[in-house]
Amino acid sequence: MRAYIAFMKKEFRELTRTYKLLIMGILFFILGLMNPLTAKFTPDLLKNFMPEAIQITITEPVAMDSWSQFYKNVPQMGLIIFAIVFSGMISNELTKGTLVNMLTKGLSRKNVILAKFTSVGIVWTVSYFFCFAISYLYTKFFWSEAVPNLFFSVFCLWIFGFVIIALLLLGGVLLKSSYGSLLITAGVIGILFLINIVPTLMDYNPLMLSSSNTALLRQELQVSDFFAPLIVSVGMIVVSVIVSISVFNKKKL
Amino acid sequence: MEEIMEYLPIILPIFIAEVTLAIVAFVHVQRHPHYKIGNRIVWSFVVLLLQIIGPIAYFIIGRSDEE
Amino acid sequence: MIALQTKDLIKSFGPQKVINHLSFSVPEHSVFGFLGQNGAGKTTTMKMVLGLLKPDQGFIEIFGEKVKYGQTKTNRLVGYLPDVPEFYNYMTPKEYLQLCGEITGMNHKQITKRSKELLDLVGLPINRKRIGGFSRGMKQRLGIAQALLNEPKLLICDEPTSALDPVGRKEILDILSFVKEKTTVVFSTHILSDVERICDRIAILHQGSIAMEGGLEEIKEKHTQNQIQVEFKKAKDMETFLMSEKIASYKKNMEQKELGVIFSFKDIESGEQAVMSAFQDTNIIPTKFELLEPSLENMFLEVVQ
Repeated sequence: MRAYIAFMKKEFRELTRTYKLLIMGILFFILGLMNPLTAKFTPDLLKNFMPEAIQITITEPVAMDSWSQFYKNVPQMGLIIFAIVFSGMISNELTKGTLVNMLTKGLSRKNVILAKFTSVGIVWTVSYFFCFAISYLYTKFFWSEAVPNLFFSVFCLWIFGFVIIALLLLGGVLLKSSYGSLLITAGVIGILFLINIVPTLMDYNPLMLSSSNTALLRQELQVSDFFAPLIVSVGMIVVSVIVSISVFNKKKL
Repeated sequence: MEEIMEYLPIILPIFIAEVTLAIVAFVHVQRHPHYKIGNRIVWSFVVLLLQIIGPIAYFIIGRSDEE
Repeated sequence: MIALQTKDLIKSFGPQKVINHLSFSVPEHSVFGFLGQNGAGKTTTMKMVLGLLKPDQGFIEIFGEKVKYGQTKTNRLVGYLPDVPEFYNYMTPKEYLQLCGEITGMNHKQITKRSKELLDLVGLPINRKRIGGFSRGMKQRLGIAQALLNEPKLLICDEPTSALDPVGRKEILDILSFVKEKTTVVFSTHILSDVERICDRIAILHQGSIAMEGGLEEIKEKHTQNQIQVEFKKAKDMETFLMSEKIASYKKNMEQKELGVIFSFKDIESGEQAVMSAFQDTNIIPTKFELLEPSLENMFLEVVQ
């Protein structure tokens, strides 16, 4: 346990000194502001720049618009940059050989994987909820109306982030490179997209956690519809982490 | 003008965040002579001209571990 | 007590047998030189000792405890310096040592005290300078500090000097010979002068097994060649010298060069006298008269060829 905590401390020192924490903080801060801004600003922009001759009806923006921006920007911009930034979390250490010393000092390989997973998970959690809090405050400020199922849908996307982290970790352990890590993650996500072709499997697809959030807000889908994909996602996370540990245990350094 | 005032509470923080990121990155570029790829001039421009993405790109692919 | 022992180790990478029935032992409180050409299997052996690689067959014991692959319990007794140690560039040496100490389970007070001592020993200043800006020699020194942190009973260094310039090399060797009072040192190298400088036991690894093993002095004695080398100023001097009848009977075992000869004797003392009296007889003063010591290099070449 002490070794795990010591390695976690090292992880956070690394995240700070390699500017990853700063990048994530500012990126998700800006994303949080962009959502309500885009929702509010776009109709005004159209109004001002449309030639007078063209008659279009522009609906007044509502809180919902801000949240659909949130569920577009966070998975597309936020998670993708997040994945790129953390794609090297394990492979950088493997290729450079910095772990050899740690392991010969008695750090167990399991603890390496777990510490990586938790530290990156904490960064994701903090930056994601920071982003959400900002969007929430501004959306409340511009439009006071409440949106149903909001917190549950936020929770779903949060879990999906962990699926990405677990896949990045697995990819890094398997292929020993940050590109490999991204490749495997993208590959698995691609497969999940393909699975959607089969209607029966669609209902279990973890991808729902990141793509159907607005449907949940519009109440086209119910909270209970998300239970199956949530369970599958948690299963995927656990399996990925366990496989990462067992592969890493056999890896020669 | 009135409209600008309405957007100010949201545009101002974005602007400050972007500028902070750009400045931190720019100072880092000036202070460290080694880069994984590129050189000082390229990164100085990238960091200042490409908002958000420029500094992130610098810290992820440009910054070298060597002091 | 035996610090490190390997018995009948075998390790293959694919079809290639890198280690082939390797057995050797290192007594406590010795500086053990592990010699071999590049690719002889030195690093592989060390990694197996550290539990980083799994031997196909055979076993390794550190102070009587068996090494198990993956579970590196024996590593609490061992300090390891890899050939090119890699550290976290964004840390200062002090922070790095602290991390190492916490991982090994030392308490806070011990860590602070030990890091200070060790940084002092290896000559690294305690300041805010990060490892990223270090030279190779400095990294190697930090590597030694890191390896000695938990006061290991066995220090294993993988080619600690090969990447360094002469000054850096001397510093590292000085540190190693300083710490041999407290710990057993095993280090691999292909630089023979380093071995002669600090080792008291050696083993020569060739094609995956031990080609020669023993105390350095003992080995040298065994390989004494009983040879004398004589060199002359002019070719004519040599001719006259060789005409002397005092050495006539030794000419069979003589190797002639341009301006010198090497005699091999059965009995070195009578041979020496014969050569000296030949000088007196012919009134020739040699530019060089030397008893040839068996050089490690010769022995090494002899063994590996």
